[in-house]
Amino acid sequence: MQLAVNILVLASIYALICCGYVLIYRVSRVLSLAHGELMMLGAYGLYATASLFSGHPLIALAAAGALALAVGVAVYFALMWRMTGESVLAAVLATIALGILLRGAMILMFGTQTQHPLRDLGWTNGSLEVGAARISAVGLALILSTALVYGGLALFLRATRWGIRMRAAGQHPLLAAQRGIGLHGIYALAWGLATFTGGLAGMLIACDAGLESTLVIIGLKAFPAALVGGLDSLVGALVGSLVVAAAEVVLIHYVDPLLSDVVPFVILLAMLVVRPWGLFGTREELDRV
Amino acid sequence: MKRLLCTIAAAALPLGAATAQDAYVIGVSGAMTGPVAANYAPVVEAMKAYLDHVNARGGVNGRQLRVLVLDDQAQPSRAATNAKQLLVQDKVVMLLNASLSSTYAPMIAESKRAGVPLYYAGAVCPKETYPPADPLQFCSTAFGANLDSQAALAFIKRNSKDSVRLGLAAMAIPIARAEIDYAEGLSKTLGMTPVEKQISPPPAPDYTPFATKLKDANPTWVWSWSPWVSQVRVFEAMRRLGWNGRYVTWAHLNAEEELARIRDGEFYVIGTNAFMEDNLPIHAEIRAVAARAKLDYPVSYLTEGFVAGLVVESVLRNTPWPPTPQKVLAAMNNVKVDMKGLRGGPLEWTKDNHFRTRQHYRVWRWDPQGGRIVRAQDWQAIEVKR
Repeated sequence: MQLAVNILVLASIYALICCGYVLIYRVSRVLSLAHGELMMLGAYGLYATASLFSGHPLIALAAAGALALAVGVAVYFALMWRMTGESVLAAVLATIALGILLRGAMILMFGTQTQHPLRDLGWTNGSLEVGAARISAVGLALILSTALVYGGLALFLRATRWGIRMRAAGQHPLLAAQRGIGLHGIYALAWGLATFTGGLAGMLIACDAGLESTLVIIGLKAFPAALVGGLDSLVGALVGSLVVAAAEVVLIHYVDPLLSDVVPFVILLAMLVVRPWGLFGTREELDRV
Repeated sequence: MKRLLCTIAAAALPLGAATAQDAYVIGVSGAMTGPVAANYAPVVEAMKAYLDHVNARGGVNGRQLRVLVLDDQAQPSRAATNAKQLLVQDKVVMLLNASLSSTYAPMIAESKRAGVPLYYAGAVCPKETYPPADPLQFCSTAFGANLDSQAALAFIKRNSKDSVRLGLAAMAIPIARAEIDYAEGLSKTLGMTPVEKQISPPPAPDYTPFATKLKDANPTWVWSWSPWVSQVRVFEAMRRLGWNGRYVTWAHLNAEEELARIRDGEFYVIGTNAFMEDNLPIHAEIRAVAARAKLDYPVSYLTEGFVAGLVVESVLRNTPWPPTPQKVLAAMNNVKVDMKGLRGGPLEWTKDNHFRTRQHYRVWRWDPQGGRIVRAQDWQAIEVKR
């Protein structure tokens, strides 16, 4: 039972991070390698708003979420917008440069000390009993947030006008543009949502384990899960996260904890050999890249 | 305009050189930025602030101390470039390393080539500083491989009425794994039963899976020796899983601050530096110097840097003017630094021992009733032998 809970929590972390990779890739065909840094920026956003709105944790959380969304939109208009029409490689390189810039800027602004946003919010990370297992309050929040984010996104993409436009832009940007869909608005929204979900993951991880610069590496650790599931599929991101998390937790418990670092990449390599477009990815899209 | 700037620059050059000739010049390559900067930058900044304070008091032997700090971001290639620059361009008489162990090899190579002593301040002491020591390598950093496990397991043994079921936790980095392997072997010779050893990768998104296996082995005590993040996250995850045993871990720079955050009466930290809570006269000096230098770090992070500052001051005081690397080396081979209470005794280097001749350990924990940090064990000395 405890293993199942551990798998669910780890899968939720990966899924929440993967969501951003998938949203941006699905809509604009750009692989964002600055996602880990944007995730960390989201966490630092919470650290800042927790101090700013001291004693009002919900306002601080809402402000940090809004900030992450705004940062994503700003990144698109300040940088990625200029990459439209350029080669995919140029756009990917731009995200790498953005990541390096953000990493340096965050150290300059916030220093190198570990921060504890949960304490700044005035909350503690308690423990809850779930049958024979236990889960931390932040772990539970991670699972619920992931369910809400994926549920909300499914609803948004299928049942709202902007969501349908986003899917259209992702499927065939030229046709979508000819039908009068403003691609820049859609892409900016995708960057905003991706940074929001990544930032949310960063905030929750920072609440659980403290906030430090190694958060960027965790952002990259989720990348294999996105590729295993299929880079243009949200369902794939969920399944991929579950597969990778299950393999990690089982190996830690029954074989050797050191394998947990290796197994996501073993699964990824196996997937690239057997089904390079991932479990739920689109073959055609991969060929195009 | 261009000619004017060139003239000013040309005029400034001999001025700078004259300043360097009038001062003891030492050079630091440290991880001032990058993912591990939190462990090293406070040490370098505190040491520099202390040496500035010494300069304000008139310097050493009537001369100023000049500290050149270069950032290596914990990258070996940058450390090599920094060492070259400090030795060839700046002609430092002592080279300091405050960075990850991966930067040691290139700095050792450069230090050997130039015959300049290499001093690890805040960086893990390599075994070459233990007796019989390498002629050029010295270390004052608090933690010491093997000695720390000896002290921690001795503490556990002293505080256990029943047989000890020992859990071990470390991060998957070579130095931490080697230490925890050593502790596993040592625990058996002390009559303890090592029940589980968890090695977690750096960093893990969630430490609960590692903690689950450790908790399931039902240890009465856990000893963890790693970077702070790994030590404390495993502990916190174990507590959330309902484990109620006792956990001993190494007192890193942030230990005092973290004990007050965690507030768990059975979470012990073992270390060799006094805590600010001791309120010694030197602590008042640290506070004053930190305020004057406007350091960003909490004062409790600065002890290690002050220890390094005291050592540098003491060595250079014994180095007659004009300084050469050979004179500095001779001073380092025969130094006894009064730690003013920051450690359990003086730091002594001999020709054969560049670590210290005695290592003193204290243990602290949070007292839930008193709502403050208390000592669980006062200074206990371990002789550092061959």
